Amino acid sequence: MKKILVLFILTIILTIQFLDAYSVQRFPKPEFESGYVQPETMQPSAHAGLLAVVDVIVLAIALALVTWLVLKKRSRIGVFGMSVLSLGYFGFYRHGCVCSIGAIQNMALAVFDNAYVIPLTVIAFFILPLVFTLFFGRTFCAGVCPFGAIQDLVSFKPQKLGVRLNTVLGLIPYIYLGLAVLYAATGTDFIICRYDPFVGIFRFDATFGMFIFTGTLLLSGIFIARPYCRFLCPYGVLLNWVSRYSWKHLTITPSTCIQCRLCEDSCPYDAIDMPVTDKNPESRSGRIRKMILICALIPMLMLLGGYTGSRMHETLAGVNGKVRLAKALLEPPSSTGKPELMEVTAFKSSGKPVAMVYSEASGILRQFYLGGWILGCFLGLVFGITIAYRMVTTYRTDYTPNKGTCFSCTRCVDFCPVDHHDNV
Amino acid sequence: MKSKIIIIISLSLLLAVVLFMAWDMFYNNPDDNVNPYAYDLKSLRSGDTTKILYEETGHFSPELSAIHGVDVDKSDRICICGDNGVEIFNPAGDRESGFPISGTAGSICVDEGGRIYLGMQDHVEIYDKTGKKLMQWTSCGKDAIITSIKVSGKDVYLADAGNKVVYHFDQRGNLLKKIGEKDPERRIPGFIVPSPYFDLGIGRKGELWVVNPGRHQFEKYDGAGDLISSWGESSMSMEGFCGCCNPSNFAMLSDGSFVTAEKGIERLKVYSPAGVFRCVVAGPDSFIEGTRGIDVAVDSKDRILVLDPEKKEVRIFTMKKPGN
Repeated sequence: MKKILVLFILTIILTIQFLDAYSVQRFPKPEFESGYVQPETMQPSAHAGLLAVVDVIVLAIALALVTWLVLKKRSRIGVFGMSVLSLGYFGFYRHGCVCSIGAIQNMALAVFDNAYVIPLTVIAFFILPLVFTLFFGRTFCAGVCPFGAIQDLVSFKPQKLGVRLNTVLGLIPYIYLGLAVLYAATGTDFIICRYDPFVGIFRFDATFGMFIFTGTLLLSGIFIARPYCRFLCPYGVLLNWVSRYSWKHLTITPSTCIQCRLCEDSCPYDAIDMPVTDKNPESRSGRIRKMILICALIPMLMLLGGYTGSRMHETLAGVNGKVRLAKALLEPPSSTGKPELMEVTAFKSSGKPVAMVYSEASGILRQFYLGGWILGCFLGLVFGITIAYRMVTTYRTDYTPNKGTCFSCTRCVDFCPVDHHDNV
Repeated sequence: MKSKIIIIISLSLLLAVVLFMAWDMFYNNPDDNVNPYAYDLKSLRSGDTTKILYEETGHFSPELSAIHGVDVDKSDRICICGDNGVEIFNPAGDRESGFPISGTAGSICVDEGGRIYLGMQDHVEIYDKTGKKLMQWTSCGKDAIITSIKVSGKDVYLADAGNKVVYHFDQRGNLLKKIGEKDPERRIPGFIVPSPYFDLGIGRKGELWVVNPGRHQFEKYDGAGDLISSWGESSMSMEGFCGCCNPSNFAMLSDGSFVTAEKGIERLKVYSPAGVFRCVVAGPDSFIEGTRGIDVAVDSKDRILVLDPEKKEVRIFTMKKPGN
């Protein structure tokens, strides 16, 4: 009986498949008399799926190779070579898409929108670098990310910015990440892709505005090494978090630090933590006071951020197309003195009721209200933790790469005179 | 100090990038009021003025309420047809005579004997120059829109935009054959006439030239109605034809060159007998935007007579003298 039932179900499924194969176009194509030949319906090329798999394999191999070059070979030339190869493959050959940075948005959308089916390739591009980072530090940034590679190529005269500037500018990626997730989660826009500065270079199709945008960024990159990676990249935030807990991170010295200070100025990214000795250790009461202050400050900042974010929800939602349309419909051109928006004209011609747009926009505004709270709280938390880090003194004896901000580029390694066989 | 300045400049650039992103995201809506898909011909309307080798040397205004067609008889008299009438002018543009007709004549042709053939929507009427109706042919069908008539010896050719075909009649109005109907076996592609602009002309050797406006091409047919050759290129550039149904009208110079009139981007151009672009007679600046149905005729001195239905004028263009 069970077999018959299975056979019956299979027959129905196969029949549906068969009928589908014989389906015809519901609306016939228009016939032109000009000899115009109807183009064939575009299908993804046969090897597109294969290429996606190849991309993931190349990514995994590149990550493994770079990690080996960073941790085992400690070879700057090797890492640089890999970054150039990655730039060629992921950048110019694959046109910078899929990229791990943009994958944040796909992940966010997949979490908040059940209808969105995220491709496995995108998941792999999001997860793999994080996994490698968790184990070995930010080797992805060192030699796999094409964005980092292209910036590395123009970093001719990197200058040290100092801790304060690095701290303040280092907050920008958190804001960018928060906004990117908010807009992706609400289905508004993929702003990381929209403001991707290098994709125009990879595809040789940058608009004039984007060309200026990228040019400005690269120009600043001559003196501020990897400005996008350090002060904009939202994926860098995640890598930073994960890398702090990395199992085996790059070390400047292969053996014991001899405090020669040769590596002190070697890092163009200001990612080397100087030794902090305990000559004048902080008193216990002082540390307790700081902890109390931090414990009070962080929730306050989160509340303040959340409140501010919620108050800004209309501004934030203004980026959403439906909200903009609803706003334009509420403000007729006669009141603004501007010609009617194209979207409004298109909407009017669709014959849909205005109430529907208002209803949808209202729903989106509610999402942004909640999103504004979450974004504000997140940024408050980040600000609070950043202040806390500045307040709390971490004692260390050696020159060590900052596990969060270090790109594992191995530049500092070349400055260390200690051989890994030395035992000073 | 130098290092500080470099850092300040670099940081300023970086901040400019960040500020640009913020501004663009929240405040900039540059395309709000700009339709990127707008049908805008402004850029195409401005052409290279050095290619204009003709100048307007005169014009005159017929008295008809609307004018539709122009032709020249063997004495260079200019005949104009339009709503409810025909007018005849001497080569200087002075009115000589005219006569009323019943209805609208959309096209006109004057034969060697001075008889005036008028395309009256679906049929042909023939008049002498005094206005006496000599003949009225039977209708070409309810869908017929006769947009052009040309007489070559004993042959009369009609362009019917409605039925997308050229009729070959004798002078008594007997249909001899249809020309240009789609026939893959004879490699005749058929005329594509989306709007009622469909012109034909007779070449120096008596060959029939027909505009295939949907294809932006001129097609040459022999006496048997076989397609001999064609020329014409669809292009937005000055050298080609663009838009719907162009060229809308044409005439032939004494050396076999083509004078073409276009709508959409109103302009007159001259092409060699082989179809190579030579020059511009008048550019879009010479016409009121939106002018349609510009008809052209050429007299024995190769003056180009342009019927401008919007200005209700016949405008005379002659080639610029060297150094002018």
